Amino acid sequence: MINKVKHTIDNPSQIHNMLIEGEITPGEALTMFSQLERYKIPFSTVNEEESLEDVMKELDQLIGLSKVKYLVKEIQAFAQIQKKRREAKLLTEPQVLHMIFKGNPGTGKTTVARLLGKMFKHMGILQKGHTVEVERADLVGEYIGHTAQKTRDQIKKALGGILFIDEAYSLGRGGEKDFGKEAIDTLVKAMEDYKDNLIVILAGYKDEMERFLQINPGLRSRFPIQIEFNDYSVDELMQIAKMMVKKRQYEFSPEALIKLERLLYNSQNDINYDKLGNARLVRNIIEKALRRQALRLVKQKVISREDLLQIKPEDISEV
Amino acid sequence: MKQCTIIGKTNVGKTLFLINFAEYLGVKSLVINYTYKEGSEKSKTISSKTAISSLVDEKPHKTLCIQAITLNIPIGKGKKKIKLIDTAGFIDGIHPDIEVRKAISQTLTIIRDSDIILHMIDAYAAKKQDLPSSLGEVDYQIAQFAQIKRGYAILANKMDLPGAEEGYRKIKEEFSGHMIIPISALYKRGFKEVKTFVARNI
Ligand SMILES: Nc1nc2c(ncn2[C@@H]2O[C@H](COP(=O)(O)OP(=O)(O)OP(=O)(O)O)[C@@H](O)[C@H]2O)c(=O)[nH]1
Ligand SMILES: [Mg+2]
Repeated sequence: MINKVKHTIDNPSQIHNMLIEGEITPGEALTMFSQLERYKIPFSTVNEEESLEDVMKELDQLIGLSKVKYLVKEIQAFAQIQKKRREAKLLTEPQVLHMIFKGNPGTGKTTVARLLGKMFKHMGILQKGHTVEVERADLVGEYIGHTAQKTRDQIKKALGGILFIDEAYSLGRGGEKDFGKEAIDTLVKAMEDYKDNLIVILAGYKDEMERFLQINPGLRSRFPIQIEFNDYSVDELMQIAKMMVKKRQYEFSPEALIKLERLLYNSQNDINYDKLGNARLVRNIIEKALRRQALRLVKQKVISREDLLQIKPEDISEV
Repeated sequence: MKQCTIIGKTNVGKTLFLINFAEYLGVKSLVINYTYKEGSEKSKTISSKTAISSLVDEKPHKTLCIQAITLNIPIGKGKKKIKLIDTAGFIDGIHPDIEVRKAISQTLTIIRDSDIILHMIDAYAAKKQDLPSSLGEVDYQIAQFAQIKRGYAILANKMDLPGAEEGYRKIKEEFSGHMIIPISALYKRGFKEVKTFVARNI
């Protein structure tokens, strides 16, 4: 019934007339009104823009990452304008949003990927906006055919969202005969097949990712967006640390702060700093500090509220 | 003034609710404003007793015009005026009488302009078939439509009758995710919850 008349409905009085003439039921009239209303106020602009703001706010609140934030905003603006142009029936650039994230562990790559997923969902670019995080072991199998299967399974899970491949360069290891190659081929094919409903992000150390792209030159054009995640400064790491303990309802004593800062400075001079994990290192130090604080307190006869809250210098140590 | 409109299938108890809810809010003599299909208006002041005997009926399609009462809803320390509107009831199919169809068309005009929609369902008839007030397709279409409204609640009426409890359970299952308030328009039960809901949405 509704389909029969749907094409011509563009004003309410038409619906009223059909109802009075006995052509449609009251319920059908209601359904037509909802369609008319939806058409008038495309909810993608009203409702979703609000939530998009929330996501952007979340992005802004991340500590540091100024270059990344800028790039994300650029991508967001570009995607939004392309969408508007498409709606206005103007020529649009083909929108390829696959990305490469270059940076050391713990520099915010996964966090930003998740936010991008949400952002694209609100903009109507991705249907679900979830992020599926995988690494080599999740994609590569043990025998011929196994890898394609495993990779396809992960892709399926990621449809409508983001497939985030951490340490993606490891897929280029071992050369031609390695199954990593098979994973890449499967991936590239899926990116074509699900052009409009999947975004792939390859992440890893800067140098390794660059080498990986040199070995697989065909990938560069398929991943037009490259974002570099720099290490956090000690100041930023301190801010992150304070936020982490606050979330857990602890606080640093002033002396503990000084000790933590010194520890972070020293670790930045460590030749293995790139592997220590930036924000992840901070988290590990804090988690260890909480355990050490507990151990210190259980030995005490009386434990005050203040004691429970405070992390002292003696709780802080290398991990 | 914000408009709060009672809609639902015919015979679910919309008119009785209008009258008794006004009385519950302390209105002694009702000023009912009638708007007819042709657009003419008329205002009458009557007692709730007279209103019930003349406007409520066990036969369907008693109400065929818009009947409105202005009410003061207490909000915090103050009060806010709203227009509570009773409408011609819906049916699932197409009614043979053009007068009824015109009345329903008028109901549709009103609800498109309303801020709050109280969708009444007869809980007693919800599990029964073939009654004019049985749960029907149009109830789902109303719920679907009302999503674009600011305030939308389902009033499960006639909770005083035997078997209404089961009907209420069915309504909760069918319309989960919506605000559902069990009431008895006859015995003024659940009115406090309705008042709170209305106050919160104006
Ligand atoms: N037991 C019981 N009967 C009720 C209740 N509410 C309404 N009724 C009865 O249901 C019948 C219909 O009530 P109305 O208020 O006229 O219903 P309506 O929804 O306005 O119906 P129309 O205007 O005809 O579409 C009347 O016989 C009322 O007495 C209730 O809460 N409990
Ligand atoms: Mg009535």
